[in-house]
Amino acid sequence: MTSENTSGPHTSGNPKGDKKHREKKLRKESEVDFPEDKEQKHRDPDRDTKHRERPAERDGHASRENPRGDRDRESQGKGKRTPETGTDKGTKRIPRAGREKSHSRGKDRDKDRERRARREEPRQTAQHNLLGWQLPEPAERRARAGSKARAEEKERRDEGSEWGDEERERRYRERKLQYGDSQGNPVQYWLYKEGGERRHKRQKEADRERRHREKSSVREKRDKHSREKSNSFSDKEGEDRHREKRHREGARLDEERHPGDTGRKERSSREELTKRESKDSEHRNRGASSRRDPTSSQEGSCALWYAESLVRNNGKDKDSRKKSCREGSTVWKQALSPGSAEIAEIEKEDTDIENAGTDEYTPCLEDDFEDYEDDFEVCDGDDDVSNELEPKEKIEELPLARKKEIQEIQEAINAENERIGELSCKLSQKRGLTEDANSSPSRAPVCGIFMDFATASRRQKSRTQALKQKARSTKLLRLIDLDFSLTFSLLDLPPVNEYDMYIRNFGRKNTKQAYVQYNEDNVDRDTQTEEVETKGVWSQHPAEGTAVSGGSGSGDPCDTGAPKVNTPRLSRFLRAACQVIAVLLEEDRMAAEPSWSPAAQDSALRISDSASQLNTSLPFLQNRKVSCLCASQVQRQTVVSVHGPPGAASDPALDGRHVLCVWDIWQPSGPQKVLLCESEVTCCCFSPFKAFLLFAGTVHGSVLVWDLREDSRIHHYVKLGDCFWTFRTATFSTDGLLTSVNHRGPVQAVEPISTSVYKKQSFVLSPFSTQEEMSGLSFHVASLEESGVLNVWVVVELPKADLAGSLSDLGLIPGGRIKLVHSATIQLSDSLSHRRYEFWGAAQTLSVKFLPSDPGHFIVGTDTGLISHGTRQDLRVSPKLYKPQQCGMRPVRVHVMDFSPFGEPIFLAGCSDGSIRLHQLTSERPLLQWDGGTDGRAITGLRWSLTRPAVFLAQDDTSCIYIWDLLESDLGPVAKQLISPDKLVAMTIVGEAEKASGGFLALVLARASGSVDVQFLKRVWAAPAGDELGRLRLLLRGAL
Amino acid sequence: MTSTTAASLPIGTAEGLLETEKNAGESENTYILRPVFQQRFRPSVVKDCIHAVLKEELANAEYSPEEMPQLTKRLSETVKDKLKEMGFDRYKMVVQVVIGEQRGEGVFMAARCFWDADTDNYIHDVFMNDSLFCVIAAFGCFYY
Repeated sequence: MTSENTSGPHTSGNPKGDKKHREKKLRKESEVDFPEDKEQKHRDPDRDTKHRERPAERDGHASRENPRGDRDRESQGKGKRTPETGTDKGTKRIPRAGREKSHSRGKDRDKDRERRARREEPRQTAQHNLLGWQLPEPAERRARAGSKARAEEKERRDEGSEWGDEERERRYRERKLQYGDSQGNPVQYWLYKEGGERRHKRQKEADRERRHREKSSVREKRDKHSREKSNSFSDKEGEDRHREKRHREGARLDEERHPGDTGRKERSSREELTKRESKDSEHRNRGASSRRDPTSSQEGSCALWYAESLVRNNGKDKDSRKKSCREGSTVWKQALSPGSAEIAEIEKEDTDIENAGTDEYTPCLEDDFEDYEDDFEVCDGDDDVSNELEPKEKIEELPLARKKEIQEIQEAINAENERIGELSCKLSQKRGLTEDANSSPSRAPVCGIFMDFATASRRQKSRTQALKQKARSTKLLRLIDLDFSLTFSLLDLPPVNEYDMYIRNFGRKNTKQAYVQYNEDNVDRDTQTEEVETKGVWSQHPAEGTAVSGGSGSGDPCDTGAPKVNTPRLSRFLRAACQVIAVLLEEDRMAAEPSWSPAAQDSALRISDSASQLNTSLPFLQNRKVSCLCASQVQRQTVVSVHGPPGAASDPALDGRHVLCVWDIWQPSGPQKVLLCESEVTCCCFSPFKAFLLFAGTVHGSVLVWDLREDSRIHHYVKLGDCFWTFRTATFSTDGLLTSVNHRGPVQAVEPISTSVYKKQSFVLSPFSTQEEMSGLSFHVASLEESGVLNVWVVVELPKADLAGSLSDLGLIPGGRIKLVHSATIQLSDSLSHRRYEFWGAAQTLSVKFLPSDPGHFIVGTDTGLISHGTRQDLRVSPKLYKPQQCGMRPVRVHVMDFSPFGEPIFLAGCSDGSIRLHQLTSERPLLQWDGGTDGRAITGLRWSLTRPAVFLAQDDTSCIYIWDLLESDLGPVAKQLISPDKLVAMTIVGEAEKASGGFLALVLARASGSVDVQFLKRVWAAPAGDELGRLRLLLRGAL
Repeated sequence: MTSTTAASLPIGTAEGLLETEKNAGESENTYILRPVFQQRFRPSVVKDCIHAVLKEELANAEYSPEEMPQLTKRLSETVKDKLKEMGFDRYKMVVQVVIGEQRGEGVFMAARCFWDADTDNYIHDVFMNDSLFCVIAAFGCFYY
């Protein structure tokens, strides 16, 4: 039936059912109709029970039932009633009459029906119950949901759950009809059904005529057959049925023709349908009874009434079992859960009970059945079970092929039923467990409309749940804070423009990668980067050792190209080579310039082979007079000249200063070094071993030291003419220092004290000699002043120069490394004064000389003609004084003294009275004394020859030079040379002992004009004779 | 936007409802207002999980309109199941999966939640390849 379409999950198999139904219908139409009778019969019992019970029931319940029913109807069904022409009374009355009729008729067939029912019902009910009992629950719930019905429902629940359910279902249906359910289904359904029913009916009405004809004969047969089985069945039944049917058909046709009646009829038919759909036996009963209703004209209300009565019946029947709703529910639950078997049992019970008191059944029910059949045929939806029954009876009467076919169908149907049964069983179990415990198991029919109940109950349930949830949430919300989160951006995919899309899809087509180049800007493919040339180089500072710098790596060109240089050695070589080259150049120049040589030749004296002139015409030497000359004892060619302040101011930078020039006699063109001094230099000397230190004493009593090795950069230099001259100031000066020990008068003499010279010459090996020589600086300097104070200074070389100057050494030039430390002071005047010559007063000490063989001993020349002999360590010495041959005190100044350079213990002393004495160290009196050699002229210079032991030279104050050769003559000088017109101021002698070829002896003469010339003496006085020293010793011994 | 999007929202519930109903009536309820620290919804962990699923499932995926609904469902179920295994006790998980075709159209997806920010959190991860994009968002709501 169409109503099935609206049903819920339980009608899931609807399409199938419909199909089946249709098949059946076709079959029915084509085949014999009488099986329908059987079916009706099988249904009868249900109906019977109802009818049977109804009167009593009505009596019992009428008082309380009716008012309620009225009330219900009035409250709910006003809309429904209005269209109806009839009143409640009418509707009620008519069915009653019909029922009575049926009662009277149904009696006859009771037994037959009973029997059949007994046989068939268990099977049916097994299935129907399942379906039927499941549904009531949602229906009831839905009903409960309705607020209006609630109160009544409660009451009714008290009376009996089933009954209440029925009642509720009915009412619900009514309500739906009236209001048109909100779910929309009913309206559609309603319309659809209307159409469908009409169609069906028309079809059937046509069929019916035909069927009736057939039936009449078939029924006869069947009746006979049934009579065989059972005892009673009157033939009248069939006729009655026919009659009734016809009558009813007519009525129905009439109804259909009247448009006003259609609505009612449809409604009623629908009710029938819904009832039929319920699988429960009770429902079927009711359905059957309702189907009878159409006999009367007032169908709708009739149906209602029936429903009520049915409910009442059931309620009564089962009151014994189910006193209260809760009881019922539990019972039903129990009944449902175990399975279909139990349910079947219960159903049986029901039917038994129902059948038990069947007595008032009337045969006229058959008529109703006819009608019912028609309706059923037309409207039968899923009443498969009832249809299933047909074949059983058919089988006997049909042909074999048919039978077989039918059997097959039957089997299929059975199988299907079983399946449905299982499914429903499961469903019921499930539901029984899960459904709300409060819902009572009512027997709501399986119907689409009832699904609304289900949803209603669900809604109810969800509402209760929602309430709980709400309560919970209100409680919780007090405890927690909810807030809106920020909007999370889950995905932001910007649109791609068309070009990009195209390129992405097709951009790479027809292209291929040819090559890849790193650094795309660089188009040149050959060179990406230029190789960096590297090489390792190292150097070391300070440059000690042979390897000062170098490179790493064997293939390094630099390494091979750079020769390893022994720098100190190279510098030594260069220094020497430069000197040689310079000398050679000088000689070349002299040779090239004839003007020089004639002059030199002219200036040569008689005693000399040749002469040269030192270039004193330099700008800073002009107009300066030479006051002193000094030659180095070691470097024989080195001479220093002391120039006094210029007569006329020429250079402001040098005004008022004294200049000292260090010359190399082989390089007369210019001085090697130029030294500056603030005060007047009275005497000077070179360091004993190497002539790199120059000591000088000044008239102010200070001792100065020049370190000639110093770098010229720390000194002042002046551009004079076209070349630069470095003017060196003193490295160390005692001026203003050590005032307690320093000289207070002009320094008369400065002498180096050195032992090494002697040791070298005496070949005595000393443990210190090598060390001293190595250092070259362990020597003392003695300075003597007029008052007899002899200061001894220690020359100290600082390990490191300090360009910033020194705080402790105030006399030291910044960057200088040589300083003088005062060692001892020897008071010569004391030793002289306590002599017997005390009355002469304090003797003046004029000169001092240290013994070359023993630096601890020295001789001091005085102004009394006596020469004092002293030691540094205050030792007693044998001759304390060296006296002249003449006795008595004479005011004779012993101005110059000179030890023999050849190691002989003899010395010469020149006196101011013109006498020259030759003393032996061991004797007080002189070996020889020449008083008239210079004609009484004062001796200002006296020097032994450096090449010949027996030759010495003397100078007097009249600028005459005398040469003495003791081997030639021991009485007087062998040669005399007057230096004029340029007077001689100072003289010194330089020369080198005979070596390979060039021994020479030269006189350096300082003239009054300021010029300095070098006179190379003649070979006669320069070249020594054979065994001259032996002859001299012999001579001296003879002189003793 | 012509690409088909399919979304599915499975909701996993950690507890049965019946229990809470029964408890509700009996006595004053006690509520757990904050999750145990170890069981807190940690986005980083969840992200790893989602990422792993995405990588595994969509590594070589191509977009096809027919398969995507099933794929989204499968993905969401997978993620949900994995999240359940991670032991976020008393958390209700909502996993949303959206798969769309990559056709160059712009897509903007956003989410907004009304929740307790102290306990609830969310994380999402996006997977994209040439043919599709997939967004998986997992929301964890604490059930007090």
